[in-house]
Amino acid sequence: MRIYDIAFYVAGFFILGVLAASSGSNFAVIMTATILLVAIFLLIGYLRKIPKIFWLTSLSLFIIIGAFYYFWWSNYQINNLKIVFNEKINFQGMVVKNPEQGSQQKLVIELQPPYAGKILIKLQSYPSFDYGDLINFEGVIKMPGPADYTNYLAKDGVFGTADYPKTQLIAKNQGSTVKSSLFKLKKGLISNFQKTLSAEKSAFLSGITLGERTEFSQEFKDAMSKSGTTHLVALSGYNISVIVLAVFVFLNYFLPRRLTFILTILAIFGFVLMTGAEASVVRAAIMGFIALLASQVGRLYSVRNAIVLAAFFMVLLNPRVLYFDIGFQLSFAALLGIVYLSPAIQKFFKMKEEEGFLGWRKNFLTTTSAQLGVAPLLIINFNQFSLTALLANVLILEVIPPTMFLGFLLGTIGFFSTVLAVILGWFTNLFLVYESTLINIFAKISLPITKIGISGIIIYYLIMVGFIVYNCRDVKH
Amino acid sequence: MLNINRLILIMIFLVVFDFFIWGLIVFEPINKNLELYFLDVGQGDSELVILPNGPKVLIDGGPNNKVINELASVLRPTDRYLDLIVLSHPQTDHFTGLIDVLKRYQIGAFIFNGRSATADSWSALSKVIQENKIPVVILAGGDKIHYLDSQFNFLLPDKNFIESSDLNETAFVSLLQSQNSKILFTGDIDTKTEDYLMRKYDLDVDVLKVAHHGSKLSSSEKFLSNISPKIAVIEVGKNSYGHPTAEVLKNLASAGAQIFRTDKDGMVKLVIGGQGINIFKKK
Repeated sequence: MRIYDIAFYVAGFFILGVLAASSGSNFAVIMTATILLVAIFLLIGYLRKIPKIFWLTSLSLFIIIGAFYYFWWSNYQINNLKIVFNEKINFQGMVVKNPEQGSQQKLVIELQPPYAGKILIKLQSYPSFDYGDLINFEGVIKMPGPADYTNYLAKDGVFGTADYPKTQLIAKNQGSTVKSSLFKLKKGLISNFQKTLSAEKSAFLSGITLGERTEFSQEFKDAMSKSGTTHLVALSGYNISVIVLAVFVFLNYFLPRRLTFILTILAIFGFVLMTGAEASVVRAAIMGFIALLASQVGRLYSVRNAIVLAAFFMVLLNPRVLYFDIGFQLSFAALLGIVYLSPAIQKFFKMKEEEGFLGWRKNFLTTTSAQLGVAPLLIINFNQFSLTALLANVLILEVIPPTMFLGFLLGTIGFFSTVLAVILGWFTNLFLVYESTLINIFAKISLPITKIGISGIIIYYLIMVGFIVYNCRDVKH
Repeated sequence: MLNINRLILIMIFLVVFDFFIWGLIVFEPINKNLELYFLDVGQGDSELVILPNGPKVLIDGGPNNKVINELASVLRPTDRYLDLIVLSHPQTDHFTGLIDVLKRYQIGAFIFNGRSATADSWSALSKVIQENKIPVVILAGGDKIHYLDSQFNFLLPDKNFIESSDLNETAFVSLLQSQNSKILFTGDIDTKTEDYLMRKYDLDVDVLKVAHHGSKLSSSEKFLSNISPKIAVIEVGKNSYGHPTAEVLKNLASAGAQIFRTDKDGMVKLVIGGQGINIFKKK
């Protein structure tokens, strides 16, 4: 067995173990199942005399290590909590994430001694707080409530909530200076959008360029979800790969390729930090990068390892994301679709290699395969998958890169001249109107599929794998 | 890099943009009418006045950022300027929404009565005003704002009320005269202030912004029959105070006013011209 195969199986089995543990199986069950698996492997290996199987046998023990890791990690996390629940108390906390500020304010704070742990605080929109503020609170900390919500918060290490406690600012700028200044830059960019565009359009642009979604109206959120376009404002791998490409192509005009490559990575790194370096964006950056790599390198084999290792490291950093973070699942399903399904579709329909007018063919392929990859997940989690989403996405994705470009330009110019920014805003508005009109239209003509059982999902993915294997049988290696 | 497709695309954009700019110039609507918008901001006050020939005056901003979407639905997206912002009195259900307005629009001047609020969010408001270098003007009863044939007369607060410990009594009461109509904005004044107003001025109005979201502490029968509004608009949302009270509704009806309320009618728009008053409501 080659070293990259070993790495692949180690990571794969480890992830499987974490999945088993986080889906609620207890340690004994996982042990038994693994031993059973080992026995089967050994039997097949003995009967068929395949040496590779013996490797698999020993590597499958990583399932147990994965499960153990998950249990150890969540115990460690809970043992480090010190929160008094359901009592009116005075507590201090530092804002550790960029606050969400819409019609209300949501802060994630790190409790200060004598307490410890992270909690979510809901407040009125004013007075507004920033990342790095140290605040004194007076109020009641509660458990998050329903299991869904508890798990949702726990994946970010948040174990309590407090609604509308009394606040008093103690000190500002207690966090990292780099983060603070990048958040200020982001806030400035968004404020420039708000000065030049109407409320709905500026919120939309903030979503497309910076992944900021707090100002969206409920109607627009619903429309995006119905039309299958929510990913546009979620800083998906797609948005990141647009930025990667833009920076790369731009720099490549003046600089040698190697230097361009390094600078591009640095630019992405800064961008990821600016958007909060939240798990979802880090993931998107890695995903976008892998997708780009796949299209450049064109070797499915190395991409396979890149994907599994990316997942492995993310799970290592936070094992809860695998089972409880829908975003994590969606982005991997989409990526797998793009990497494996799109060449199969291309081959099946004997499509040309050229990208077509404004790259529609490439957009169509990418969107279709990503959408097909995530469809069952969307259906079980949100009851939301529209058959018309494909068309909507192809029509909208054409203009997302220029919209992003104008958005960043507008945001930057806004720091120097509001008048110029307003004029540029008219331009940008044309694109935004086009996009939001389409979103609203497709929300009305959506053809939703809302029901699919677990067996349905399994059959769906089996068919998909079969399709890929059939069409790519001579592509591999 | 520059192939035919891209060139065509750029040309199309330039042509569209050109038409767009000329469109803005040629089709700039010159409104000869007075337009009043009672914005649906929930439990709070916010009114946009567009005077004949275009100046925009926003009176109060409501309790939250709903006002932003309401403004966006009235103003063209390219319109990023408000001439005047008038804060009737410094209470959160009147000024909180203004913080977002000041962040997003360019403002000619900010007008208020000089009193500051005790609420925490007041400092956020002052900060935005300073950061954006917005001129601040303090007015009081007796001051006037003219534009062509329209004028705002500030009737109250005078020296008897401006220092009152009840912030509601410090509210601007302003009478807008335009297009041969009289519109009275009353902030959150109570019956005591209403009595004072009646003694000091002889008022007969066409449109009344009903005081204090229809509270029982305002809009006395005597006051309403004295000023006899034809149209009364109550700016109110979901609340626990029982606004608007049955008594106020009764008093308004017996004064002969046609009643509109933002909780039931949504945004209420009045267009006042030579031919009279046209009323539009959103819901």
